[in-house]
Amino acid sequence: MTFKRDAVAIVGYAQSQIARHFDRTLGAVALDTARDAIADAGLRPEQIDGFTSSALLPSAGAHVVQDGVTTVSSNWLAAHLGVNPRYATGFQGFGQLPGSVMLAVNAITSGAADYVLVHRALHNPVAKYHANPMQEAQGPDQWTAPQGYFGPLAMIGMTYNEYLQRYGASREAMTTVVVEARKNGARIPWSYWHGKPLTEDEYLAAPLVSDPICRYDADIPVDGVACFVLTSAERARDLPHRPVYVSGFGSGAPARQRLHLHWPLDDLYEVGRETARRLWTSAGIGPDEVDVPQLYDGFSPFIYFWLEVLGFCAEGEAHRFVRDGGIDSDAPKGLAILSGGGALGNGRMHGVPQMLECYLQLSGRAGERQRADTRVGIACHASPHYGGVIAYRSEAQ
Amino acid sequence: LSLGRPVPIPDELSAPFWAAAAEHRLVLARCSRCDALAHPPDAICPHCHHTDPDFTYEEVSGRATVCSWTVLHQSFLPGFDELLPLVLVDARLDGPDDVRLIGRLVDGSQADLSAGDAVDVIFEDLAPDVAVPAFALNRQ
Repeated sequence: MTFKRDAVAIVGYAQSQIARHFDRTLGAVALDTARDAIADAGLRPEQIDGFTSSALLPSAGAHVVQDGVTTVSSNWLAAHLGVNPRYATGFQGFGQLPGSVMLAVNAITSGAADYVLVHRALHNPVAKYHANPMQEAQGPDQWTAPQGYFGPLAMIGMTYNEYLQRYGASREAMTTVVVEARKNGARIPWSYWHGKPLTEDEYLAAPLVSDPICRYDADIPVDGVACFVLTSAERARDLPHRPVYVSGFGSGAPARQRLHLHWPLDDLYEVGRETARRLWTSAGIGPDEVDVPQLYDGFSPFIYFWLEVLGFCAEGEAHRFVRDGGIDSDAPKGLAILSGGGALGNGRMHGVPQMLECYLQLSGRAGERQRADTRVGIACHASPHYGGVIAYRSEAQ
Repeated sequence: LSLGRPVPIPDELSAPFWAAAAEHRLVLARCSRCDALAHPPDAICPHCHHTDPDFTYEEVSGRATVCSWTVLHQSFLPGFDELLPLVLVDARLDGPDDVRLIGRLVDGSQADLSAGDAVDVIFEDLAPDVAVPAFALNRQ
């Protein structure tokens, strides 16, 4: 089967301010952001007949989950907007934002809904983010938590060190990635890090959390909401903004079962290469045709992994590629993979900065940050082997 | 009141593993259908996907090779603060099956460690009749 390219388009958006902690509930901000996005698309709330999202709070901590407070589900958002949609559902998997976009695409192409609101609302609990008072390790945790292996920082520290050891890379090379993300994030008005770039010295002086992962290798937990409105390419022609088309999709997950939160590098490459193949095949393009490559950076090593599996550089070479100036968004030949600031430059927005940068650059709405000749973008989320990536186009083929 | 380290709670499939661990023996589940080692054991064999793997449990040597490690400078669980910085090792058990275990390196954070180093599974006693696998460098 071939992917039905450019049948569905993004036609509007809204992005809240990104803060350490909102002074209102996450639900209230999500509702205002949804209303802004619907108005931006030139629509009224009663026209929105589809809602898709992921309501995951990405924390290992022992937090009580409450819809409208710590998370916002599609059903919560629809009910509080005062509409009774034909279609409202949540995505259950990794790569939550591309997954939610694909639920919207499927709903629109099947006719289950005409105008779909895709949202992501992220919350930073006041308590320590990943802390967990666990005394009894049950189920998957029984194999790892009693040893002290727990939470995503230990997980990515293990995978990242496997990369460093195998390819003779240094921790210092990652400085370029984090400084690049923060440079671009500092230019974005809604970013938590607006006006706050990071120096190389600050990165290198940061405390190690799960060596080789230091504080600045992980995105900072925040409160923030983004909403996008999607509809069919036909309906998009009658709306105020230039549509940005969904043109391809790649996703995957390992079949090989491992210990909980154990991500061996070989699993990551094997499944990641297939994710990339699915993306390029469905979109009918290759890495050379991408003008707005937005790679995921919730943990900085993901940048290396995505660069390599997508074919922007050879396997094991990303640490040299970034050190040689390969990802400088201000260099004429730089591959601007973090032009939207990413997660490291915005806050823990779980794939939103990547999707938003594709939308803004391809619709010509990036303002002072607008880049020239932007026709094809890709927005990655999560790990190449437990995630997803969507290709976007400014003109339907 | 300070909390201790979390202890594993055995279930039907993991009970033989933890009973052996308490005696400082490493025992893994083998699927009766496809004859592969399955760790962690699952109600469905992770290799052949049979819904009734009818596992047998057998003792293995515990000799392993380091694939990676991370050094925790901060723990999100109780009971580990006095062990920081804590080295966690990801090691592949020697033998034909691709079984990887994660455990603390008891040699500590000053030990000279490289990918490919030989380690042995040992056991840390957490409570009476509760022990969890860890690793010690094999310098032979």
